[in-house]
Amino acid sequence: MNIKIALFCAGGFSTSLLVNKMKEAAAAKGKEYDIAAYAVTQIEEIGPQASVLLIGPQVRYVVDKLKKEHPAWKLTDIPMHMYGTMDGKGAIELAEKLIGEEETWKEQN
Amino acid sequence: MEGTELIAFNIIATVGTARSSYISAIDAAAEGNFEEAEKLIKEGQDAYVEGHDAHAKLLTQTAQGNAVTMDLLLTHAEDQLMSAEAFGILAERFVTLYKKIYNK
Repeated sequence: MNIKIALFCAGGFSTSLLVNKMKEAAAAKGKEYDIAAYAVTQIEEIGPQASVLLIGPQVRYVVDKLKKEHPAWKLTDIPMHMYGTMDGKGAIELAEKLIGEEETWKEQN
Repeated sequence: MEGTELIAFNIIATVGTARSSYISAIDAAAEGNFEEAEKLIKEGQDAYVEGHDAHAKLLTQTAQGNAVTMDLLLTHAEDQLMSAEAFGILAERFVTLYKKIYNK
């Protein structure tokens, strides 16, 4: 299955630059992911299609609410310093960690 | 990444975090959770100061005669900075207001 990593921030502008860094980091590892940035207003529409949702620090306030409303979604916030340094490698590892948890869960159940 | 670009991202990430903390503080106060609200305001202020310092470096650089090239990314960073500042001022007042409502 194609793994889709969706990033969300206020408008999807600055986050699209992190997406480019993540694509580079994924390519360096020989991994192919479908990575894209969206505005947080699109989250209800995009969320169900995404394997992992990464939330930018600008809109971190939606995380708790989303976790309650969509317990099945794999989502987390991007740490401030990871975002501020445009750490694509770190963000890929963050996404992979969440996907990994999902795979482990499937094996156990 | 270039120096200015990196500073812009530092500003966006820090003041963005601040703005988010301020909004969460208002949400916590709305639930009557004032200890959490005060904690979030403090977290927001700490993150804001970090972003403000990064911005001040650009101002210092400009004052020294090394003009910073303005682009959309830096404009966006300043936009976020202003938004966070306003949210900080308002969040404190919202918390005060909710305290009055809850203590009625």
